[in-house]
Amino acid sequence: MNLDGIHIRGVGAVSSAGWSADDLLRTVREGNPLPTVNCARPGDERTWPCPVRLVPPPPPDKTARHPRLRRSSAITRYSVAAALGALVDAGHDPAALPPGLGILFVMMNGCVNYTGRFFNEVLQNPAQASPLIFPETVFNAPASHIASFLGIDGVVSTQVGSSNAIVEALDTAAFWIRSGIVEECLIIAAEECDWLSAEALTYYHPKFIAAEGAGALLLSAKSTGPQVREVVGPLCYTSWDERAALLPDLAAQTRAKLTGAAILIDDRCGIHRIDRAEQAAWSGAQWQAVRSPKLILGESMGASSALQLVLGTLEARDTHQPVVISMPGANTAAYACVITP
Amino acid sequence: MPFPPSQRIAITGAGIVSPLGLGWEANERSLAADRSAFRPVDFFDTSGLIAKTAGVVDLPTESPFRTLPARKQSHVDRSTRMLLLAIREALAQAGRNGMEGIDALVIGTSAGAMPLGEAYFENAQHAPGRIPSQLSRAEHYQPQRQINSIADEFGWRGPVIIVSNACASGANAIGWAADMIRSGRCKRVLAGGFDALARLVFAGFDSLRALAPSGIPRPFDAQRDGLALGEGAAVMLLEAEDARQSAALGDVAGYSTATDLHHLTQPDPEGKAAIRTMTSACAQAGVSPAHIGYINSHGTGTPFNDVAEASAIAAWAGDAVSTIPVSSTKSAMGHLLGGAGAVEAVICLMALRGQWLPASLNVRTMDPAVRFDLVQKFRQARFEHALTNSFGFGGTNATLVLQRRSA
Repeated sequence: MNLDGIHIRGVGAVSSAGWSADDLLRTVREGNPLPTVNCARPGDERTWPCPVRLVPPPPPDKTARHPRLRRSSAITRYSVAAALGALVDAGHDPAALPPGLGILFVMMNGCVNYTGRFFNEVLQNPAQASPLIFPETVFNAPASHIASFLGIDGVVSTQVGSSNAIVEALDTAAFWIRSGIVEECLIIAAEECDWLSAEALTYYHPKFIAAEGAGALLLSAKSTGPQVREVVGPLCYTSWDERAALLPDLAAQTRAKLTGAAILIDDRCGIHRIDRAEQAAWSGAQWQAVRSPKLILGESMGASSALQLVLGTLEARDTHQPVVISMPGANTAAYACVITP
Repeated sequence: MPFPPSQRIAITGAGIVSPLGLGWEANERSLAADRSAFRPVDFFDTSGLIAKTAGVVDLPTESPFRTLPARKQSHVDRSTRMLLLAIREALAQAGRNGMEGIDALVIGTSAGAMPLGEAYFENAQHAPGRIPSQLSRAEHYQPQRQINSIADEFGWRGPVIIVSNACASGANAIGWAADMIRSGRCKRVLAGGFDALARLVFAGFDSLRALAPSGIPRPFDAQRDGLALGEGAAVMLLEAEDARQSAALGDVAGYSTATDLHHLTQPDPEGKAAIRTMTSACAQAGVSPAHIGYINSHGTGTPFNDVAEASAIAAWAGDAVSTIPVSSTKSAMGHLLGGAGAVEAVICLMALRGQWLPASLNVRTMDPAVRFDLVQKFRQARFEHALTNSFGFGGTNATLVLQRRSA
C-alpha cells in the first residue's frame, strides 16, 4: 500500500470525549478512563451489567441543520460533525466547498438504532412498520445524508468491515486522488451505540465497554502536513490464533521503518485476553509516549481506527514526531502505519 | 479516458446464482425461455405484508463446502452459500481449483447475513438474561465474518473489501476491483455481490409500498406497480491483461459512479446522475451510445425508477436511443439488491458471449417515457458492448460497460 504524496489536510472527531478532535486529543493525553453509564435496555431489566461510554449531548454550535438531518440517526449526526471538523481544519468553508470532493464512509455495525427500532415494528405489526425509518437502516444512509448536506454529487461510497477497514479506504482514496476521480477525499468512519451492540460486546468479555463516535480525515495531494506513510499490512487472518501469530511480524515490520523516537497509538481495550498479543508484539521498544484511546473512550468498533488516525495526526502535528498506529483489527486483517509530521 | 490496451481488465471467470438457476448454463436456459421465477416466500413470516412472493433461490441440499469443518459451516448463512457457489463457478471457469493467486476479494452486499442479526434481536428481546449462543450470532451476522468462511474453505488469506452502496453494491464492487487492477495495486481480483432475502428488508420495501402487490414486476410497463425482491450472488474474476493466466471471456471496459442528491429513496426524475455515469463509463470504454448494443437497465418496475431511467437513457443516447436494445432482467428474477449489479453484469457478459438479448417480461403497454428498443422477448443479436445500470437508496448510481471478446 503506497500513500506517498497524500496528505492529511484536516481531521475531525466526535467521541465519548466530546464533539471535537481537540477534545479527543486532550482526553486521551490526560489518560483517565471516562466514566461509564449502564446501557438502557427496552423492556425487561437486564440481569447483568452493561456499561457504555456514550457521546455527550452536542454543544449548540455542533448541531448541523438540514432537511435530511431532521430524522437522521446518531451515527449521521456524529459523522456530519466530524466531517465539518475536518473540512474547517483544512481551511475549507463548508458552505462553499470546491468541486471534486469525494466521500468514503466506513462502518462495522452501521445504523443500529433505526434497524432495531424498525425490526421491532416489523415483529409487532409489519403493516404498521414505518416507511420513514426503513431507509435510515441502510448502511449507506449516513454517507448519503452527508453528501446531500455538503452538496457532493460525485463519488460517494460506503465500506463495511472490521474496526480497521478504514485502512483499505485510505488506499482507495489515494487511488481516486491520484487518478483524478476526485481532488480531495473525505474519509469518515463512524458508529453509534445501541443496547444490542453494547450487550453483544459483553458476550466477548463482561468488561468490554461499548462506545460510539466518528473520525474524519480529509486527504489531499495538494497540501502539506502529516502523511500516512509506511503502511504495513494487510496481514490477513480468519481466527484469533492466526491474528496472534501475525502481530509480532506486524510490529517488527513497522519498527524496522522507524529511524528515531516515535509515539505509539495502540488498540488495547483493557481486557488482557484481547490485548495480550498486541501488547507483547509492541513491547521491547522505547516509545516517546504510548496512547491507548480505547482504554479512555471505550470500544467504538467501526470508528475506532479512525479515531486512532485522527489522534495520530494531531500528535504528529503537535510533537513533530512520527506516530505509529497499531490496528490489529478483530476479524480479517492487521495493519499498522506511521504518520509522519 | 479509455484504458490503454495494456490496462485492459479481462474477465476470465464468472459465476452466477439466481432465482433462475444455479450457474451460467441454468441461467442462460431460463433467460432464453423467457422464464420468471417468483413464488411465495416460506422461510419467514409474510403475514401482514402486502407482498408475499419473491424470486427465491433453490440452494442444493448438499453443502457447498468441501473442506470447512461442519461446526464452522453451521455459522454460514444462506447468502454466503450462494456467494460460495458463484465463486466456485467463476474459479472453475478460469481453470482454477482455488483462490491461490487472487490478490483481493471485493464484494458488495446491502444486507450481509441479516437473518442472523434478526435472530440475535429476537433472542435478546425475549430474554433479560445472558444467552450463550448470542455470541455466535453477534459475530457471524457481520459480512466480513461470513466471507472469512469462504477464505477458510479455500485456505486463502487476502484482503476482503465489502462495498455497501445499497442496490448498487455489486456493480460498485466490480468497478472498484477494476480500479484496483488499473491502478496496479492488484493483478487478479474476485469481485461481485450477494444478498439473500431477509425479513427486515422484505418488510422494509413493503412498508415503502415499493413491492408489486401482485408479485409480478413489470418494468417499463405503463401500469407497473412495484418491484419484486429476489436473492442471489454473482462473481467475476478480473485479471490485468498483462498478467492474465486464463482465457478472457470479455472486458470490464468502463465504470463510473456518481451521487444523486435528490432524495434518500427516490431518484431524480431526470436521472441526472445516471446520465453522468453512463457518459463517463462510456468515455472510459472509448465508446459512444451508438456502440452500446444492449443495456441491462436498473429497471426495478417502480413508477419513479423506470421513468427516471428511461429519461436518462434518452437524454444520454440522443439520436441513437431508438436503436439501443434495453431490458430489465429483474422482471424475471426480482431485485437482488446488493447482488443485483453483479448478477446483471454477469448476464451482460453471458449475453455478449452468446450474442443474445434477455427480455423484459410482463410488459402489457409500454410506458410513454420509453424511447429505446425495449426487448420483450429473448432474441439473438450482434453486438460488442453492453452497459448495465445500478441505482440504489442514498442516490448511489453506478454504470459498468462490458466489452465482448471473441469466443
